[in-house]
Amino acid sequence: MKKFSFGLALAAAFAAAPAFGQATVDQKLQILQQEIDDLKAQARRPAAPTQQASPYSLDYSSMLDRSSGLANGGTNIVGYGEVGYSKFRQSGNATADLQRFVFGFNHRFDERLTLHSEVEFEHAIVSKDDEGEAEIEQAWLNYKMSDAVNFKGGLFLIPLGILNETHEPPTFYGVMRNQVETRIIPTTWRELGAGVHGIVNEGIRYDVGITTNFDSGKLDDPTTGIRSAHQEGQLANARNLAVYGALNYRRPGLLVGGGVFTGDTGQNGASNPALQGIPARFTLWDVHAQYRVAGLDLQALYAAGTLGDADKITAATVAANLADPSVTPFAAPKSMKGAYVQAAYHVYKQGNFDVAPFVRYERIDIRQAEDPGNNLFQNPNNNERIKTLGVNVRVHPKVVLKGDIQRYATDKSQDRFDLGLGFMF
Amino acid sequence: MSWRARRALVLLTLALGATAAGWVRGEVYQEPDAFVAEIFGTKPAPKVLWLTKDIQAQAAAILGHPPVQLRQRYWSDAHKSVWILEEIGKEELITAGFVAADGRIDHVRVLVYRESRGGEVRYPTFLKQFKNSTLAHNNTLDRDIDGIAGATLSVGAMERMARLALFFDRMSRQ
Repeated sequence: MKKFSFGLALAAAFAAAPAFGQATVDQKLQILQQEIDDLKAQARRPAAPTQQASPYSLDYSSMLDRSSGLANGGTNIVGYGEVGYSKFRQSGNATADLQRFVFGFNHRFDERLTLHSEVEFEHAIVSKDDEGEAEIEQAWLNYKMSDAVNFKGGLFLIPLGILNETHEPPTFYGVMRNQVETRIIPTTWRELGAGVHGIVNEGIRYDVGITTNFDSGKLDDPTTGIRSAHQEGQLANARNLAVYGALNYRRPGLLVGGGVFTGDTGQNGASNPALQGIPARFTLWDVHAQYRVAGLDLQALYAAGTLGDADKITAATVAANLADPSVTPFAAPKSMKGAYVQAAYHVYKQGNFDVAPFVRYERIDIRQAEDPGNNLFQNPNNNERIKTLGVNVRVHPKVVLKGDIQRYATDKSQDRFDLGLGFMF
Repeated sequence: MSWRARRALVLLTLALGATAAGWVRGEVYQEPDAFVAEIFGTKPAPKVLWLTKDIQAQAAAILGHPPVQLRQRYWSDAHKSVWILEEIGKEELITAGFVAADGRIDHVRVLVYRESRGGEVRYPTFLKQFKNSTLAHNNTLDRDIDGIAGATLSVGAMERMARLALFFDRMSRQ
């Protein structure tokens, strides 16, 4: 009888022996013990709203610890950063720089209302004697009524170009951001304002709104188009506002879109009294496209803008120089345009590892309102062609190593070899 | 900007808001229960896949991080299984339902999308790429999934979940 019972038990054990993938009773006990241990550990930790599981997780799996999913009332931390090394061909000089480190807090008030923010530190150190800057890059609220209608308000990025809204280092090619989306579209470009945005008709994303604008009285560098007149939400002169609109169509592998931003920038002479009553209307628009097929990434962008009353802005810089000789007068930009085409090919992709060499050709043309009487002329470097050859090596979807060589047709002092690394989280 | 232009913008905003008020919808496109019931006609009793050490290790290789669940609930009949999975895109969880049939993805639907950008992943133009995909070497998909500009991390999350659903389906049938 004993023998029979033992045999029966053995047979039952074999019958119950699982195929690969099925858990044995021992394994199930171990798994339950692991869950109990995890629950105990969780109970010992102070309650953290950021670690709540979503309402669906508990129903469908025993998720014990969500460290970044946002439940209502939850806050999480995001960020990105990039480090670059540049060796200049003409001078032989080299620089290494923590170009930026950005962190942000996102908070979900409820299922419709969210806060998005980014705080940026540039060039590692911020002090009176250093080059670094600390700035709020974004701080805006979003209220989602539906996919098609979201309301936003605060300091947000203007939806022009490709790079301005999506600028984390692993998402673009090259150690440095391209020059067209730096000197023509002043990335990272943000304004205070309110807007409506959403997706309609399966992939058409619109974004319209009203925001603060540039202040042409603050212009001090005509080589970067309108960029130096930005206000970035810092006690912005807001007598003249701007409106913007953007339309983008996305489907797998394809992006086609464009945007426009327009408004007066004179600000009734708030920064330079000589601009009182001068509209100085600024208009900038762009069209862009991305196409990805069979390991090939193609991208192109064209941007153009005008700054009205540029001759009066030039005269205003002369007037400012007369009042304060430390102010350098210059010929204000009156029109600006730029374009680039870029091609990359994913030559090797294995798991998270991805190697993609790329080439890019850029053209920049910024025309200035010259004043020969005051010896204020066009800067030749404002007509530039840039060739870039490089490679992005992704070691993780959120971590990239980069290298490139850049050749400038006009300003040869910028010819360089760059190395960089970037990350986002 | 003139006052006329400002008034026009305010009116446009109000009109859009009023239009939206008629069809307010949150981030939940379909309750997971409703998805399961739709697939089977009625909601069958759930089953549980126990994540042994070996399954956990392979799931971690697919996801790029350890799975948060130690037991995975699912629903199945003789031919197909349904998996409700969650994965973080950029910063928020995406909840998606996957139907696996005969070792292939038969159907994918985004049930809850919480991210502020990248919502294009829930449209059929993107999701149809998964149809009939199977697991190939190293538990990768047998095809490349075309990404969506500005939604790279959401696309990656969807791809990882599809692989996990196929892997779990295979484990549940052994």
